[in-house]
Amino acid sequence: MKGKALSAKEGINKAIIDFLKKSLEKKCFDALLIPAKVPETESYAWLLLQDESLLELANPLPPVMTVQGGKALSTVTKHGEMHQSVAAVMRPCEVRAAVELFKLKQNNLENITLISIDCPGTMPLSDYTDNPEKMTKAFENAFDKWGEGDNLRPICQICHKFSLTSLFPPSPQESPSDQNEKDFSASDLHIGLLGGNKEKIFLMPCSTRGTELLEKLELPPQDSLEKWESKVKEIIDKKIKKRNTFNKEWLTKIGGNEKFIAVFDECINCHNCMRVCPICYCQQCYFDSPALNLPPEAYLQRAEKRGALRFPLDTLLFHLGRMSHMVLSCVSCGACEDACPMSIPVAQIFSVIGDQTQKDFNYVPGRNRGEPLPLQVFREDEFSEVEIPSEGEETSTGEAEKNV
Amino acid sequence: MNDNIGVYVCECGPNIKDRIEIDKVIEEISSLENVKTAKKFSLLCSNDGKKFLAEEIKKEELTHLVVAACSPREHEQTFMNVCTEAGLNPYLFQLINIREQCAWMISDKDEATSKAIKYIRAGINRVALHKALEKKEIEINPDVLVIGGGISGLETSLSLAGKDRKVYLVEKAESLGGMARKLSQLLPQQGSGLSLIKEKITQAENNKNIKIFTSSEVNDARGFLGNFEVTVKLNGTDSEEREIRVGAIAVATGFGLFDPKKSTQYGYGEIDNVLTAMEFEEMMNFGKVRLKNGQPPKSVALIHCVGRKERGYCSKVCCLYSIRFARYLKDKLSDVSVTDFYIDLCLPDKADQEYFEEAKNKGIRFVRSDEEVKVKKSGDKIAVEYQIEGKQDHITTDMVVLAPAMIPSEGTSKLADMLNIPLDATGFFKEVHEILDPVSTPIEGVYAVGCALGPNNIPESIIQSQAAAGKIFSSLIPGKKIEPEVKVSEIREDFCTGCQTCLSVCFYGAISFDPFKGISIVNEAICRGCGSCVGICPSGAIRSKHFTYPQLYREVLEALR
Repeated sequence: MKGKALSAKEGINKAIIDFLKKSLEKKCFDALLIPAKVPETESYAWLLLQDESLLELANPLPPVMTVQGGKALSTVTKHGEMHQSVAAVMRPCEVRAAVELFKLKQNNLENITLISIDCPGTMPLSDYTDNPEKMTKAFENAFDKWGEGDNLRPICQICHKFSLTSLFPPSPQESPSDQNEKDFSASDLHIGLLGGNKEKIFLMPCSTRGTELLEKLELPPQDSLEKWESKVKEIIDKKIKKRNTFNKEWLTKIGGNEKFIAVFDECINCHNCMRVCPICYCQQCYFDSPALNLPPEAYLQRAEKRGALRFPLDTLLFHLGRMSHMVLSCVSCGACEDACPMSIPVAQIFSVIGDQTQKDFNYVPGRNRGEPLPLQVFREDEFSEVEIPSEGEETSTGEAEKNV
Repeated sequence: MNDNIGVYVCECGPNIKDRIEIDKVIEEISSLENVKTAKKFSLLCSNDGKKFLAEEIKKEELTHLVVAACSPREHEQTFMNVCTEAGLNPYLFQLINIREQCAWMISDKDEATSKAIKYIRAGINRVALHKALEKKEIEINPDVLVIGGGISGLETSLSLAGKDRKVYLVEKAESLGGMARKLSQLLPQQGSGLSLIKEKITQAENNKNIKIFTSSEVNDARGFLGNFEVTVKLNGTDSEEREIRVGAIAVATGFGLFDPKKSTQYGYGEIDNVLTAMEFEEMMNFGKVRLKNGQPPKSVALIHCVGRKERGYCSKVCCLYSIRFARYLKDKLSDVSVTDFYIDLCLPDKADQEYFEEAKNKGIRFVRSDEEVKVKKSGDKIAVEYQIEGKQDHITTDMVVLAPAMIPSEGTSKLADMLNIPLDATGFFKEVHEILDPVSTPIEGVYAVGCALGPNNIPESIIQSQAAAGKIFSSLIPGKKIEPEVKVSEIREDFCTGCQTCLSVCFYGAISFDPFKGISIVNEAICRGCGSCVGICPSGAIRSKHFTYPQLYREVLEALR
């Protein structure tokens, strides 16, 4: 694999901004969707930016994720195609969320170029608002440590999908002949930071759109990516190990009814996690709907049955319901955990469960646009291990036992 | 809310009476809230039973009826009719199956009794949430869409079109007639295909009840017997469309031909004077069989079964038309030598054997080769290599005529997808039963005839066309009423996110996407109430009118108590 190396002597941010500026000047795009610092505050927001001179506000990799990029893009394109060409500059988990939303027709990627960047993680939102200066500094250090820094969000510390999504092999249910570029890359262009020693960034085209962009900018992808590749591989391996240990630990912490209930006991039922989640795209959440409002006597009946009834009611039901609805598409972006006022480790729990269920369906959410959502696909041969064989089917009985 | 629920337990002769303690059931049920009355009866489906139920509904002023008896497949409709007659909306009724699910299943009487009580409680709990649903009647559409204007499509159309019934005949090509039109003569000597088909085309064109669309294709079809909505793309353009409504669809899309280039051993396309049967047929139509150099051939080899091995089936018609070619050559060119290479001869009809014997007597040589022959260039001539009982041999000849296998016509799988009808392993349309129901498809109101079903000769195709017409005549009687499903799905607009997941699972094509509102829409005339969309909707925006979440929840709650 080859890419285009650009100098980043004046900093990674500057190099990326210069590249984007050039592409705006050369009319490769009419606008950018990019995070930027809100003037006079320490906060970050998304800008749909058309005026090049405002690019100095932009920060392609801010220290926090205030709004998930997939959600921002969906807001802009939910009701139809962009009539101008827009580049969306996002973290890999945001690109993956955008791809999931694409499959659910909650955005329109017709004139959108998705640009992803190697991501070291972000700082917890509450830590950052407490002390922006300190956390900004800590974030800068994260570029040296790549997930080793204690100050990063826990979910980022175990994230092994921080780089190009095509590093994950296509799922076996897709035949290689289906693998055209459009369908099989999450982003159109990826910007590699690893292996560049903060002196270089690497541009790599991942689709026809990405290739054409570099052609138009006269940036032929002819430089070696060996350093980037080996560094990415090293960190992925390290993170997968860490993730496995982490998942095991979590399973002992939340395994079984009592422990699981205890984790969500502190929930105040604010539904913030649902509101910030890019995958929770329902118009009206069932758990916000009047369906849950019962007549007074129903509450009294329930109280009578159990001795007492605690409020807020049905918090566990909410989390379980949300989990069963979205966990197959969960990209572990951590937005839910950032938004939780009670510091419940929602993202970490959803990530553990997500890993298990996604593996069962051989599905990596957001890996590519062509991979169908598991619940929309019926395969006769799946989950045969949980089928109860009928009497007389001796061979399958044997297999079922083996699989169990 | 004051519900008067009446619960009636059927003894079903000894079936339920002997295995469930009905008196205990009645006792338990009677005390439940909103149950006005609970009674038993010997046989509720009998005339006396129905009369009893109807009287009870009126006498007890029932608002809901629960019957604990047999399977809904057996008598749900019976008791719904009783409700209607007694003035109770039939959807305020629930049938509980305590025969198949309790009495017949469980040998222990106590256990069977307590299970029956549970199920009846579940039914009572559910029926209280039932909504009165109104039946609608629509008049059946007697018109028919025929896809394909070959001999089968023409025969189907001509059989059906009449005063009360329009036929829409859609043909992909510029003109009607299909493959049969290209044939120079029929068997045995029934005149040319052209004259037979010309007659049928003229009849179709002159019939004012047949509307013919040539250069046109069916673009979309949805619905069910008596009520299909079809979009036809007209005149080979994408822009010109016509919506038609019909009650039945006959698929008569015919066949294509195996491309002999796919089997390199026949040298087709490489060696001069190697022709396909259709090309030879054209020469016969022209009245002159000539080599490329303009001379009549002195020797001709006819090769059967081209592509049979690849396709895996016999094409039924090639043996006879190859014999027809051989006889034609012998009759027209006095000194020609003709060799027929076959692997198995297919002579199924009563006149075929004699036709073949006559050909042998005319001096036509028939060679049964062990395996497929090879065709090679040999100077100015063509060599045909073959093998008899393990021994290699060859002949040289001026001309080779190949009989390629019949294959599904182009677009068959697309049409199968559109109409939701299956294909068999050979890629042709699959009939419900090859022997017992040979022209029906699993979709009621959709039929397939002629070579759309696989290799068929012309008489067979005609018989099938008339058979399908007969089926349509008896099911689509003009003026007959049909009742569209009442228990349909409905989409709640404020919940629908427009992700269109439901479109991918709807077997009947009843859901469409409204791009202006950005939501999915159910066509109630087409929806059959299967509930697939209800289950798949990620946002819970779809509900089934007779299977709402509260109804199911209340029912399951009791069943699992």
